[in-house]
Amino acid sequence: MLERPNVIKHYRWHMGTWAWVLHRITGLALVFYLVLHIWVIHNISSGPKGFDKVMGVVQAPLFLFLELGLLGCVLYHTFNGLRIMIVEFSKEGCEAHKMVWGAMMAVAGFLFLLGGVPMFVHFLHSIAG
Amino acid sequence: MAEYTFRIFRYDPEKDEQGRVQDYTFEVQEGWTILDALNHIKWFIDGTLTYRRACRHGICGSCGMTINGKNNIACETQIKDLGTSTITIEPLRGFPVIKDLVVNMEPFYDKLYAVKPYLITRTPPPTDRERYQSPEDRAKLDGKYECILCGCCTSSCPTYWADKNFLGPNALLKASKFMLDSRDEGFEDRVNCIDDKHGIWRCHTIFNCVEACPKELNPTKGIVELRRLMMRGRL
Repeated sequence: MLERPNVIKHYRWHMGTWAWVLHRITGLALVFYLVLHIWVIHNISSGPKGFDKVMGVVQAPLFLFLELGLLGCVLYHTFNGLRIMIVEFSKEGCEAHKMVWGAMMAVAGFLFLLGGVPMFVHFLHSIAG
Repeated sequence: MAEYTFRIFRYDPEKDEQGRVQDYTFEVQEGWTILDALNHIKWFIDGTLTYRRACRHGICGSCGMTINGKNNIACETQIKDLGTSTITIEPLRGFPVIKDLVVNMEPFYDKLYAVKPYLITRTPPPTDRERYQSPEDRAKLDGKYECILCGCCTSSCPTYWADKNFLGPNALLKASKFMLDSRDEGFEDRVNCIDDKHGIWRCHTIFNCVEACPKELNPTKGIVELRRLMMRGRL
């Protein structure tokens, strides 16, 4: 018997697979962010010099751009998490899981635009000088 | 009549070290299913092709396989509906391959036996009639009993690929069918098996099982119903 047969065509990625993989990736990204966050609040309280040093890093254009990604991660992880809760606790939600996902992503997308546009403008200002 | 190419996974345990791909190109007739195409290959082109089939109309669950990267039963998959002129056919994933498209379903049945998929009773039945079940209680089992054991759901589950001890959507759907049956009294017999890290709590709600099920059942719903049942018990 062939225990590990080779795959000809990879299994199709349905919406649920995307939702789950993105949930994992954004979750790991947020764990990494938490470490960074602890580094920031640890150094920021060490006096004026430390404050300036930390602010010099987090106000750099690269960081302002990455903050857009952070907003995206937080919004996706939050709203997909809500979708998972709805699927777990409501019979109708489990049956209409695709609709729940669509609705949640619409809200997340709207909030991303709402917060992301000013953040992007701020980023553009920072690279313009 | 249109020409299609079928890319089929081949493995002969007596000759091959690893699986290989064999292409068959021929014209298929209007209304053919994947099973019709496989029969055509076996009867007229290459008699060595091995696959399981029996009823050929979606009742026996023998011809579960991965068609164009998605599990389904071959007899219910219309070739035209796939929308591609090259069609990949592979054995069900997650199970050892015996030959060509035939997989060893023992691990699948073992999980099913583990949840005791039969009515367990402790009280004797009434002497004058059968065990009563109200229409409302009976309706709760809709979407749970229609399973044909084709294995498409468990084989499509990424969690099962990663954890071969995971009971899988099929066994958990069966467990939910009996644990939510008003006549069943076997809660204690099944609870240790399903309330386990390889049981209901392993499911990541990826919904591949729901996409794959040829009977359009929702094993995830059965799993989350069991989770709610367990949670109510703890609260």
